[in-house]
Parts: sequence; C-alpha cells; structure tokens
Amino acid sequence: MSIHGKAYIAGIYEHPTRRADGISTAQLHAEVALGALADAGLTLDDVDGYFCGADAPGLGGLTMAEYIGLNHLRHVDTTESGGSAYLLHVSHAAQAIAAGHCNVALITMADRPLASAAGTALAGVDRNTMPNLPFQAAVPPPPMYGYAMVARRHMHEFGTTAEQLAWVRVAASHHAQHNPNAVHRTVVTVQEVLDSPMVANPLRRLDCCVMTDGGGAVVLVRPEIAKQLKRPAVKLIGAGEAVKHPNAGHIDLTWSAGAHSGAKAFTEAGIKPADIGYVSLYDSFTITVIMQLEDLGFCAKGEGGRFVADGNLISGQGRLPFNTDGGGLCNNHPGNKGGMTKILEAVRQCRGEAHPAVQVRNPEFVLAHGTGGNLAGAHAAGTLILQAE
Amino acid sequence: MGKHCPACNQLHYYPRPHCPFCGHRETQWRQLSGKGHVYSHSIVERSPRPMAPAIIELEEGIRLHSVVTDADVYALEIGEAVTLRFLPTQDGPPVPGFTTVRAEHARAYGDHARQLLKSAPSPLIDALDQVAVIGSGHMGVGISLAFLQAGLKVQLIDQAQEALDGAQQRIQETLDQELSKGRLDQETRNQRLARLAVSTDLSSIGKAGLVVEAVWEDMALKRELFARIDAHAHPDAILATNTSTLDVGEIAQATQRPGAVVGLHFFNPAHVMRLIEIVRTPLTSARTLQAAQAVASRIGKTGIVVGICDGFVGNRLMIVRERQAGRLLLEGALPHQIDRFLREFGLPMGTFELQDMAGGIALMHRSRQRRGERDWLIQQLFESGRLGMRAGRGFYRYEAGKRRPIVDPEVTVLIEEASRQEGLKRRPIGDEELHDRLILPMINEGAKLISEGIVDRASDIDLVWQLGYGWPQWKGGPMYYADQLGARQIVNRLEALQARHGEMFKPADLLVELAASGGRLTAPAP
Repeated sequence: MSIHGKAYIAGIYEHPTRRADGISTAQLHAEVALGALADAGLTLDDVDGYFCGADAPGLGGLTMAEYIGLNHLRHVDTTESGGSAYLLHVSHAAQAIAAGHCNVALITMADRPLASAAGTALAGVDRNTMPNLPFQAAVPPPPMYGYAMVARRHMHEFGTTAEQLAWVRVAASHHAQHNPNAVHRTVVTVQEVLDSPMVANPLRRLDCCVMTDGGGAVVLVRPEIAKQLKRPAVKLIGAGEAVKHPNAGHIDLTWSAGAHSGAKAFTEAGIKPADIGYVSLYDSFTITVIMQLEDLGFCAKGEGGRFVADGNLISGQGRLPFNTDGGGLCNNHPGNKGGMTKILEAVRQCRGEAHPAVQVRNPEFVLAHGTGGNLAGAHAAGTLILQAE
Repeated sequence: MGKHCPACNQLHYYPRPHCPFCGHRETQWRQLSGKGHVYSHSIVERSPRPMAPAIIELEEGIRLHSVVTDADVYALEIGEAVTLRFLPTQDGPPVPGFTTVRAEHARAYGDHARQLLKSAPSPLIDALDQVAVIGSGHMGVGISLAFLQAGLKVQLIDQAQEALDGAQQRIQETLDQELSKGRLDQETRNQRLARLAVSTDLSSIGKAGLVVEAVWEDMALKRELFARIDAHAHPDAILATNTSTLDVGEIAQATQRPGAVVGLHFFNPAHVMRLIEIVRTPLTSARTLQAAQAVASRIGKTGIVVGICDGFVGNRLMIVRERQAGRLLLEGALPHQIDRFLREFGLPMGTFELQDMAGGIALMHRSRQRRGERDWLIQQLFESGRLGMRAGRGFYRYEAGKRRPIVDPEVTVLIEEASRQEGLKRRPIGDEELHDRLILPMINEGAKLISEGIVDRASDIDLVWQLGYGWPQWKGGPMYYADQLGARQIVNRLEALQARHGEMFKPADLLVELAASGGRLTAPAP
C-alpha cells in the first residue's frame, strides 16, 4: 500500500528549551503535544492516534496518553529505533491513516539527559540484556567510537579527509547563527574544526553533535482534514525504512540502511534525488551526513566528502542546503535522538517558514532522513519525502 | 570461539544456539584462529591503558567489534596484523581483545633483554641480613622501605635526631597505608617495623653487609662521609652511593677500599620503582658488582650495570629530550602540545606535566642558578610562584584537589614573551618535527652510550627506560624503536636537524656506521 498523498503534516512544535531543569519529561511531552496541536489548529479531542518512543515515560504510550489527556485513541504505536524512531512514526502514522485506523495522529518526542545527568544514554536501552555483551570489550564503548570507525574506513576506502568532514560542521554553523535557540551560534571555519580536540580519533569535538534536553511533536492528518485547516499543507509523498546490523560477523561499514530506505521513499514519491530542494539529514556526527548523502543517492558512493566541501550544504550558497536550523551539530539533539528535529525543519522549509536567511526559495520537494542506533552496529534508517502544496 | 552451521556451512559471531543465516537449530562450536587484521578503529583518548575500539577481520573472514590494547594505538593502521589478547574484567571471566603483532614482538624483545641480565650468584648477598642506610631524607626513606619490604634489617642513620624521627614516622605511615589497602597483614607490618632501627651514631654500622649512602648531592660532603663509613663498616661490606649526578669513582677514592664501592641509583619512590642503575667505577671489583646485582634481585628489582657519565643512562637520555622540549617552547610549541605528543608516542606523561608533578620548576631554577645560567622563562615561572601541581599552577593550572593539567593562557603569554626576549619568531611546529626533535636526540645519545662503553648492550638502555621512565613494553625502548626506524632514516633526519639547528644533532658515529652497513643497535630476540 503506497502512502503517497495519504497523509499531511498539519502541525509541528519544537520545544525551545535546551536544558530542562525543573520540568519533568512527561511535562515536556505534554508541552510539545499541545504546541503541535495548536499549530495545526486542532485540540486534544481530535487526536485518535498516538505515537511515541522509549523516551515517553511510563508504560509504552499508555502513561503519556493519560498524562497528556488523549481520550479518543484508536491506534497506538511505540516503535523504538533510537534517533530515527520519529521518522518511522510518521511513516507508520501515514499507513494507519491510509488504512483507516485513525484520522489525527500525534507524535511526541522529549527527553532531558542533561537535567537528569543521564549522559549519552538512550532512553529505553538496557545494555545488560544485550546478547552480544559477553563477547565484547569489558565496557561497551560509547557510540561515538562506532561512528569514528565508519569515518576511518571511509577515509581509507575513498580518500575522504578531515577537512571534508569539517565542511559539514561549517555549513551547520552558518545556519545556526540565525537560530536564537541554537546551542552554538558562532560560525566556525574548517581550520577551527580541525583545531578542536580529538574526541574519538579521527572525529574531533566539532565533528560531534551537541547534547541537549528538549523535544518536539508532529501532527499528521488525513487529506480531507488538512484541507480544512489554515496552515500551509505539507504532503507526505514517500517514506522508507530499513534495518542494518552486523549480521553475525559480516560487518561492512561502507554503506548504511539509508541505501534501502531512501530508494524505497524515492520510488514511492516518484521523484529523483536531483528534485530535492532541501534535506534534513541526521547529523550525530559529520560522517553520518556524508554517508547518508551517498546512500540516498545525492552523490555516488565515496563522493560524499567532495560533495560537502566548499560550502555545498550552505543555504544560499551550495547546491543542497541541509539542516538550516543548525541541526544536531549546532542547534539541538534532544535526548541524544535527532530524528524529530529533522522532521520539524523539513516541514518549516516546505511551508516557507524557516528563518529568512536560510529559507530555500520554493523548495517543492524536501527530504528528511534519520539513522537511529549505531552506524557501525545495528541501526534503522527512516526516510521521508515531503511536498509543498 | 565462533559457531559453525553444518546445514549452510557458515561461521557466525557472536555465538548463538541457532544459525542466524539459515535458522538451523544445531550449530557447532568452532575454534577461531584469534589472528586477523584491523578493519577499522578509533582511539580512546587519555586512556591509562592504550585502548583502540576496533573492528577486527579474522583470518576466517568474519569481522567483529572488539578492542586493540597494549599496543601503539596511535600508530595503528587499517590492515595491521593483530592477535588475540584476553582482557581481565572486574567480576567476570576475561573478555577477548586484540593486540598488534608488532607489540607482541616488542614484548618478546623485552623478555629476552631481561634474560640477558642474569648474573653470577653472590654468596655475600645470599647471607645479607642487615643494611645501613645513611641519610634519612626522601630517598633514604624510600630505600629503607625497599629493604624492609624484602625482609631485611635496616639501620637508618642521620646526624639529626629530628630528621630520624620524621623518617621513622613516614616509614610507619607507608606501611600502615599498605596495611589499610590490604597489601600487607598486621603481623608482617609489625615485623617490618621491628626490623627498622634508627641512630645518629655512624660507628654502629659495623654489622651491615651493605651500606647505602643517600645524602645531599655534594661531592665534598660525600667524600668526607665515605671516609668515615670506610672506618666503621665491616671489612667485607659493600659500600654504595645513591648519587644520581656525581662521579662515583671520585667518591670511591675517599676510601681505603675503592673496589668495594659502587653506585646504586634508586629511582623515586625507591620502594616502588623497580629499576636500579648499578654504577661501576674502573676500580669496582667483580665481587662487588656481582653483589650489587644480587642486591637488586634480592629486593625484587632489576639492576642494570652502567658506567660513569653525567646522568648515567636514564637521565642522560632524558636531559637531551628536556633540552629540546625547552627549546621548542621558545620556537613556537606550547607545553600541552609537547605533552600530548609524548603521551601519544606512548610515554606515561609529557615533559611539562611531569615537571609540574615533581616540582621541577624549583629544581630547574636552582640548577640554573648554580650553573650561573639565565633562563628568563623559568625565572618568571619561579618568581610568580608557579611551582607546579602542589602550588595549583606551574606550566599548567590545576583545580583544587585535581591532578588534571589545564592549559593556562597566562603561561602562553609568558612563553610568547620568552620567545621575544630570545629574538625568536614563533612558528607552527607539527608532530613530525616534535618527534624528530624530542626522540631522535635520545636515540643519538643512546648510541653514544654504547660506543662509550657505558652500557654492556643496547637493550640495557631500553630496560632502563622501560623500568625507570615508563617507556611502554609494546614499543620496546628507544634503541628498539631506533631499529624499527632504521639507522639510515635516523641519520638522514639528524643531519637535516644538524643543518638547521647545529652540532647538538650531529649523528653519533655508531649510527653513521650502522647506516652504512645496514646493521642494528639491538640484537633481535631469538
């Protein structure tokens, strides 16, 4: 069943906080839910489908449904795939709407690793239950080392350089300067990225995303409802999801699950990468962006480093503007999961509501993509293609 | 261990009861080679034990997430050969990790180098029961503890009763710490303390089979003291000095038995560090030398015989490195840059963080004053109270109670001013230059030590640096490392430095010879 045109994104909301002292995670979920519904011009009573990940406190989506006040639910989905979960939720919500399971789907995401001192932990992940644990190093290394290994292999196979990685950060910083909520608003140079301390060789501090609290929400509705609302309509025309894992010893770091999720989404949308005017790409680390650009078909495998160089991702300057809110590298990465914020900026670009300094002129098609889990281990990719109407 | 599926003939890792490829329910254990190469890796920065998260491709073709450890992780490359090395865990069975084949070779070399140290037995030391330690300062206390730990009786002698009381207290505190950490039981602790006697009377040392002098570094003082020791010591006793800078031969001449005099250069803290440089003079008898080597083994240390020269083996290499480190500061490098390079090279600490920890600025200031040298930077640091970690500031600044050095812009300003004073225009200095300027002079100095006959063999220099200065076993030692680079390469680079910076980089004759002949400094392990 194709979801092309079966659902519209009618409301979005991004929580302005970057450090949520004195606000509970549940409260954050409620605030983003109310924010997105208000944006859409809908109320709690309109919601009949609810989607959330493991960051939602309590049992599945049930505790939050009660806390937020969702009293007419006919459909609940608590898919968890790390940072990409919310892209999968959008896809699942569109399927549910298309199948008649619900009319108004609410997706919430919020967490507070800083205020709760949870560090790089992901909500809902219990490392102790992982079956591979006894066969790995004494302390499971933090996720950044996985991305570092992807980066080193990419450099080895394709000649990608630290300077090229740095260009991803430089582009994000150009965009973040216009975002008053962004954690890092200073424009940086390639040299400044190269001068930042090594964190997980070959990745440096400025190759890494920020850690923040916060969250966001999205409301999807069926087309008939979207037409009655006042906000600019954003049509979902393609979605894809795919899983990749180490496959019991058959690891290959040169491609990600995005190769499959992207192909599926483009087929469903009936367009080509060249038709895309703006991309939201998961940017946990600079290498993540380069891998996804290749896997989604914006350039050939191995060309990602050259593709991002010389400001090619900077809005108004390069061929493919990306993460015009500053992305995870500069703006925010709530709960160590960057998928929700990728959707939000993609919708803003579709609506023409991004900051004027970074707004792409009439981008008919935009793409939002996320990679959740670990790029070097098990991960799930989600791709969404949106059309402005 | 991996699992093999008889149905689809595939190997998988990590192991499961079923086959993840075909679903077959009965899989069989299969011993894996444990050999492979690096597919990709990262590095854990500032890890006390070198640690590189890595994906390893085994000979069997499967790739797995693991770590490479106890190896030169900063020199690790994709494709490098690795072999299994189990890592202990706190409360579970050891987990598999890997180390490089290069590191295994270096460790085998080190083991062989230790084998070469075996010396003739010494009946004198086998019968040793009592040791006299003269001088109850920091070194005297450490040396006394080292002998007490080996179950020997120690007479600690000093002219001031106050100093002795303090020393006795410190020895007791150290033993109590060992007790509280569970490394010692109450009875052993009491026994050790009971075996310690303190006295201000030098004439009471007559029963000691070994006398170790550890007083202030002053030739006149030591000579006068050795004349008195000579008068009171047992006729068969070995007389040792702990000097780290003075000519042991000259000290020996103050006695009527120069053949019985030897240097025992302990490293600080003497009860912890496992190295003793045994300094022989031209007059030291074979019996004395054997005894000195036996003493080292008796107290669980490694004794390396060296000849007399300024700084002996360890410090002589250190001094040339330190001189370059100071010079590099003026030319454009900063302390944290040099320290990071040295740590990534494999040494436990960098030059400047080590100085800060050891209170080196005061020492450097004093030694320069003594030699009448002017060093504007050291003087500024000294006068502004930047005496090191304990003062909270030195080459770095330190947060109260923390040991982690923090880069201090104030020091950067001082260094930049020092460059101006020297008339030097600061320039960026890369890691390659740091390597050549800091490491090659050590190798060069080591080659000279061999030619001068200060050491018996090149590997002794490496053992001194492993045991006394923390040169990692996985990198062999400066001489072993030199052989990895090759003499030709080293001579070429030293000549380039000589052309730019002067005669201090002139390649040692031995290196020039080896470059021509293609020979090696060290003998390979069999």
